[in-house]
Amino acid sequence: MDKLNALERRVFLKGAGMGMLAFTVAGAEILMTPGEARARAVPFRLLSGDEAETIEALGETLLPGARAAGVAHFIDQQVSVTPGEALLEARIVNVKPPYINFYRAAIGGIDKASTARSGKRFAALSATEQHDFIDALRQNKIEGWQGPPAGLVYFVLRSDAVDVVYGTMEGYESLGVPYMAHIAPEKRW
Amino acid sequence: MATQENVHEKIDVVIAGAGASGSTFAAVLAKAGKKVVLLDNGPDWEATDLISSDTWGRRIKPAGPPFILEGKQVAPIGYHGGWGVGGAALHWFANVPRLLPNDFRIKSEHNRAHDWPIAYEDVAPWYDKVAHDIGISGDAKAEELWRPGGRPYPMPPMKTFRNGEVWLKGFAANNIRMAPAAVAMNSTDFKDRPACIYDGWCHVGCPIGALANPLVTYLGEARKAGAEVRAWSTVTRVLTDPTGKKATGVEYFDRDGQKHIQPASVVICASWAAQNPRLLLNSATDKHPNGLGNASGLVGKFIMTHFTAVTNALFDEDLEPAKGTIGGQYMSYERYAKTAHKGAFGSTLLVCGGATKASGLTGLHNARPDLFGAELAAFMKRGSRGFARYTAACEEQPKIENRVELVSQKDEFGMPLARITHNYDENEAALWNANLEEGMKIGRATDAKDVWQVRTAMPAIHLMGGTIMGTGADNSVVNSFGQTHEVPNLYVAGPGIFPTCGASNPTYTVFALSLRASENLVSNWGSIAQ
Repeated sequence: MDKLNALERRVFLKGAGMGMLAFTVAGAEILMTPGEARARAVPFRLLSGDEAETIEALGETLLPGARAAGVAHFIDQQVSVTPGEALLEARIVNVKPPYINFYRAAIGGIDKASTARSGKRFAALSATEQHDFIDALRQNKIEGWQGPPAGLVYFVLRSDAVDVVYGTMEGYESLGVPYMAHIAPEKRW
Repeated sequence: MATQENVHEKIDVVIAGAGASGSTFAAVLAKAGKKVVLLDNGPDWEATDLISSDTWGRRIKPAGPPFILEGKQVAPIGYHGGWGVGGAALHWFANVPRLLPNDFRIKSEHNRAHDWPIAYEDVAPWYDKVAHDIGISGDAKAEELWRPGGRPYPMPPMKTFRNGEVWLKGFAANNIRMAPAAVAMNSTDFKDRPACIYDGWCHVGCPIGALANPLVTYLGEARKAGAEVRAWSTVTRVLTDPTGKKATGVEYFDRDGQKHIQPASVVICASWAAQNPRLLLNSATDKHPNGLGNASGLVGKFIMTHFTAVTNALFDEDLEPAKGTIGGQYMSYERYAKTAHKGAFGSTLLVCGGATKASGLTGLHNARPDLFGAELAAFMKRGSRGFARYTAACEEQPKIENRVELVSQKDEFGMPLARITHNYDENEAALWNANLEEGMKIGRATDAKDVWQVRTAMPAIHLMGGTIMGTGADNSVVNSFGQTHEVPNLYVAGPGIFPTCGASNPTYTVFALSLRASENLVSNWGSIAQ
């Protein structure tokens, strides 16, 4: 391998570092961040409107800023690509593809439990109710829970929220942490 | 799926898996003039694919691996596994502690577990050789507090950072001596590879080659010597002749579902501790009705992992937690004696000073998995300045109940999936708790303002065992070179051949054993190759 000077090593991959993904707009694939996709109301590929609404409410409860950062668009885009292309935390905690099945089961379980507890879907709960629900979910204390293991649902969705809020160059900047990317690839992404 | 099989020309060596062990075999054999083909089930990754991002870094890990995980502490597959050329060593942390002499004779000294059929002294020269092949930074003399002497490492220790240095006061207060951590990273330029720039992205792959991943070490050497790598090639069976005494090659499928036969004089299974047993079990014939190398019934048995007791702390000082390397800055074998902790059995390796990023499985947020909402956001702000952690890596004792076995469900190529069952017992729980208790003492002896541990579940890391080495077919699957007792031209390579696992990260030992075995194979080619 040729030696690289320090400056070359520091060249930053804009797309990956900014968390850009390929979204479909008017039939064309456009690179943008999930937050931009949300702001432009890019249609969801696989999630229904209700499912996306639940994910946004979950994300925002788990980590403020996740809704605006496009957590629902991030998940929707990721469950629509092949498992080998997916960038989800679900991938490395042994969730079996296709990942949409996990998210649908998780969202369904949450809305079903929320309705049983409060007569409302999760997205319609007050902020305090949403907080209390998540606190119970993480401790596996949702009565009559039906879905993937509650602890796993909490872990994966919380990680998704962290990915979109902090896992990018902008996220690092918000924490005051230098991103220090290594080297730009010559292809892909 | 295509029906006609594509039969290739016979070669000298076919290797299933292009990770740490397969690459080492390939380099030695190709340089000895052998025609070598490596088959790997994933993409042919290049350095430019190694993106500095925890999110994007997930692409070099398995997606939906063909294993069903059962047990209280499930086997570490998703995060620790590899997918594609380079294998798990493409994203390894590059900590390279050695096994110590006591690891090789647990049965003799404590009447527990197994002895290895070889001693530390048989492996030590290969540790030294690997260090100079791939590049290791550290202070070998300092390690002689705990191990026999050997060659100095080719590079001085890595730079240290405050996120590691702050622990030294706590260790000293508890009479624990520390040494610079040995890591397979460049503290200086080494063999045309640049020095590390300490940006802490090692765990998603080092694209500059400062960290010794296979692409820039043995696999690169193998390719230069003429070894061929076939990506997207999933080996499903090892083939044997009608006598059952000779391996004749492998069956594999490409990404289009085309079946191939690759005849070879020597077959090496180097597909990690989970996949190698699956492959051997799926290679059953009338002469080997329970799977190849399985007369003992031990193929798939004695799966082992390490478990970590992690102590977290917040300091007022800005420690720049995201800087440094993912490997440790300091390490200690001070608790490596098998009986170092009263009431528990097994070795412990202490490591401190790894970089902590904002996201990902080892990210800052997972140091407080109980927090969410505004509390999580506040913790992230504070932790981004003052967070540090240290890890006590602990040894599991082999248990025959921890195993890999085939199930009836099949993958896209018609190969049965495998179930991996893994549980710790009371002894491991005792060792974990002892290390957590000591961790709190160490943490409280530092200047940290807050010290805590996550005790909700014992983690499992580093998969080992399943095709253990021993003295004969009655007690093991392979000999100390990884050669199966029943089919001499069939080898198993990687951490699966460890009969016990110590507490040291396994990859250095994988390299050393693979180098030893491959050079032995070259020396004895005439009597082994068929």
